[in-house]
Amino acid sequence: VEGKDPYAPAQPSPPVAGRADAIPPPPPPGGPPPTPPPSRRWPLTAGLVLALVLAAAGGGVAWQQREVAAGWRDRAVAMERARDDARGRTEALQRQLDEAGEVLAISEQDVAQLEERIRELADEKAQAEDTATTVQVERDVFVQLSTTVAGAVDALDLCVTQLFSLLDDSVQAFNDAAAGRPVDVVPLNAAKDATTAFCNDARAAAAGAGAAADRLLR
Amino acid sequence: MRPALPARRRLLAALVAGTVAAACVPAPPATDDVPSFAAGDELELPAAAATSVLRRAQQVTVRIRSLGCDRFGIGSGFVLPGGVVVTNRHVIDQPRAVTLNTWDGVSLEASVTGIAVDSDLAILQLSGWAELPVAELRTTPVEVGETVVAVGYPGGGPATVTTGSVVGLVDGELLDEPAPVLRVDAVIRQGNSGGPLLDEEGRVVGIVFALEVGTGYGLAVPVTTLLERLEGDGLSPPSGSC
Repeated sequence: VEGKDPYAPAQPSPPVAGRADAIPPPPPPGGPPPTPPPSRRWPLTAGLVLALVLAAAGGGVAWQQREVAAGWRDRAVAMERARDDARGRTEALQRQLDEAGEVLAISEQDVAQLEERIRELADEKAQAEDTATTVQVERDVFVQLSTTVAGAVDALDLCVTQLFSLLDDSVQAFNDAAAGRPVDVVPLNAAKDATTAFCNDARAAAAGAGAAADRLLR
Repeated sequence: MRPALPARRRLLAALVAGTVAAACVPAPPATDDVPSFAAGDELELPAAAATSVLRRAQQVTVRIRSLGCDRFGIGSGFVLPGGVVVTNRHVIDQPRAVTLNTWDGVSLEASVTGIAVDSDLAILQLSGWAELPVAELRTTPVEVGETVVAVGYPGGGPATVTTGSVVGLVDGELLDEPAPVLRVDAVIRQGNSGGPLLDEEGRVVGIVFALEVGTGYGLAVPVTTLLERLEGDGLSPPSGSC
């Protein structure tokens, strides 16, 4: 068998009835144990070598995996520490948020109250300005009325003065006529017409002022 | 030719290889990626300046005092960028002097720059205007059912904010308006005239100008009409004389 290719296909054997070609014949009873044929030893050797290799590889893998396990343990510890830190941080932030929320609520309330107060004051100011504007308008109206009344009074006063002058002129003309002195009535009539016209205007101005005062008082 | 291994041997080899492979747990990553927290870290809070829509709405709304030739008018209005103020035409009819009061009590003089010829709108310009909160105009049309907020100074008193919704549209021709008018169920009173009607995001969708007789609903000029007037269409200068 030495030097023969173990993987070479088996030589065909002559056909035998049954399965005698696949199963070796049993040993004769009482005889020595059969020795395996030399052609079957190499798988055992290869298996042993493979087992050794696998055992060595397994040992290496086991050692490496112990290291890996240690790494994972370290990582787990680190993560646990980080988790605890995160929880502490979360609680701290929550406390800050609560405090900030309280401050914000108070601040918002203060702002709302201040704005409400500002609006009240602004409204009071606006109302005061309305009043001031109204008073200003009324003042302007009163000033205008006062000017109108004063003008009417002045005109009436001048009318009275002109009437007195016309009266004096008339008395003088009457006395002259009684004494037989010549009297020119033309300027006297002209003065009378002028005084009448002026006094009519003065009376109209006075009536207008009176009506304006009445309207204002109403 | 090499003969194929028997099935049992191949199975055994696969089991051995699988066992070895399965037993090889990969090493853990370095602990550098484990987050660490320093106990002394301070929380960075956002700036607490969330101005609510209602607060903002009040801040952009002004009280308008108009001294006319023979009348004294009180109404509302709102401020736009550039010191532009919008109100109703009937609030500042024949104006001799117009004064604005802001929500926080600032008094400002204004002049009338334009009066709408076909709508109850008027445009004012603040003289020496300061940094005031300004309103934002919505360019998309408002829809029936939308929630709206009306802000104004009813009765010349403090600013009020009322909420409601758009319940319908009224033909503009009936009210001498060029476009359909918004009908809202928000509480409107005399003095709200010229005040803004805002949507839920605080954008102006209309200008309050009247109360509907019978129903009591408020009526508002749509903002689209205002946008056209702000571009100069349909505006005339004030008469300037009594």
